[in-house]
Amino acid sequence: MSIKLTTQAYCKMLLHAAKYPHCAVNGLLVAEKQKEKKKDSHSTPILCVDCIPLFHGTLALAPMLEVALTLIDTWCKENKYVIAGYYQANERTKDFRPNQFAEKVGARIAENFSEAAMIMVDSTRFTMGCYEPILAIYDHHENKWKCRDCNADCFEDWCEAQKITSALLEGRSYESLIDFDNHLDDLRNDWTNPEINKSVLHLC
Amino acid sequence: SASLSERSEQMRDKLRKWREDNHRNSEQIVDVGEELINEHASKLGDDIWIIYEQVMIAALDCSRDDLAWTCLQELKRQFPGSQRVKRLAGMRLEALEKYEDASKQYDSILQDDPTNTAARKRKISILKAQGKSAEAIRELNEYLEQFVGDQEAWHELSELYINEHDYGKAAFCLEELMMTNPHNHLYCEQYAEVKYTQGGLENLELSRKYFAQALKLNNRNMRALFGLYMSASHIAASPKVNATVKKANVKYATWATNQINRAYQLAGRGTKENKCSVKAVEEMLESITMS
Repeated sequence: MSIKLTTQAYCKMLLHAAKYPHCAVNGLLVAEKQKEKKKDSHSTPILCVDCIPLFHGTLALAPMLEVALTLIDTWCKENKYVIAGYYQANERTKDFRPNQFAEKVGARIAENFSEAAMIMVDSTRFTMGCYEPILAIYDHHENKWKCRDCNADCFEDWCEAQKITSALLEGRSYESLIDFDNHLDDLRNDWTNPEINKSVLHLC
Repeated sequence: SASLSERSEQMRDKLRKWREDNHRNSEQIVDVGEELINEHASKLGDDIWIIYEQVMIAALDCSRDDLAWTCLQELKRQFPGSQRVKRLAGMRLEALEKYEDASKQYDSILQDDPTNTAARKRKISILKAQGKSAEAIRELNEYLEQFVGDQEAWHELSELYINEHDYGKAAFCLEELMMTNPHNHLYCEQYAEVKYTQGGLENLELSRKYFAQALKLNNRNMRALFGLYMSASHIAASPKVNATVKKANVKYATWATNQINRAYQLAGRGTKENKCSVKAVEEMLESITMS
């Protein structure tokens, strides 16, 4: 019912926010598609295994978002993933509440995946050391978004996530992070970020 | 030595390029600029002053108040009483979140020179930083009544409106920009995106026209190409259009898909991700021809 994050997913979210500290950023989270519908749906939490950074700057326009959702949806089908969440970091550091746009996108994702989560990044607590998780996770209940406390339990392995994210921030890996905007600027830019994925694996 | 002056030349060129492109890569500017200032100041001649300014602003972005302060002192010493330096001092106060002091600084500039646009725009930035969007919008509108040719301001206003989901007013700002810059493909493309977001058949048709116009101005604009595909497909799929319009839009969408396909083939090195994008594009093509 609730989502958990892998190191790779968390890491790339934070790298995206770090690459554009003066902009709003957003992106998607993907989870592995469950093989069969489990009778006891409360047992296993959904594991978000990867993050696809989307845009930076002006977020609230529709066409490119639709393009990204279409292409990423196809990519998901090929990889047996499902779009399971949406993250956003607002332009103003102090502003970490979800806005109308975040709720809209979140609701759209929830149409295809009922346990979808909306995640807001709290930039006021964003440090190189990554000593605490800086996310606010919202679950969709009865057409409303309810905030859930984000602690180490929301991660597959918080210690690993903390260590690796901090290391990549120190090493300025965010300079090479590719989001969908970068991809639209130059199609050779790969929004799956294979090099960063390798770095994460290497540090594990 | 020869290689040392080569190095300082390269760093100088980098800074100049970043200035010309108005790049906000502040960490890199600080890295390069700090070294240049500390170790090669003597070789910079009069360039040093504009470099101090560039590095100072980047230092503020990176919370390097020590470096920003050093740059500011050098500039104050060289240009005492300068409005331009006063504005930089104001920006430092903004970076320290001392908004009232910053505002006073800009007010004192405006007292001496009421037409100082930089100071007025900084005051609006303070409103933005404080989350006072409605006020920022109001002030910016007033500013533009006086300084109607300020493109940066029109563009800023369009972004403020988009963030407030006021797409109609954002479109108006972009119309101003397109009128004065008819060859700018980016303004066309952004206008098309706003129209598309506004929704409704009429706006979709307008968006398609402007995506097409953006492509005419720059046939490598991928956003315009994708936008043309999206708008044409939506129009073709609309129950409100007659068979002629539907047929025409299927044609536009098909053309766009082929161009997108080609662009991916050109870019692709057979990487897994590009193969998937190509597949997604193929699926898009199938979906229009089927309807």
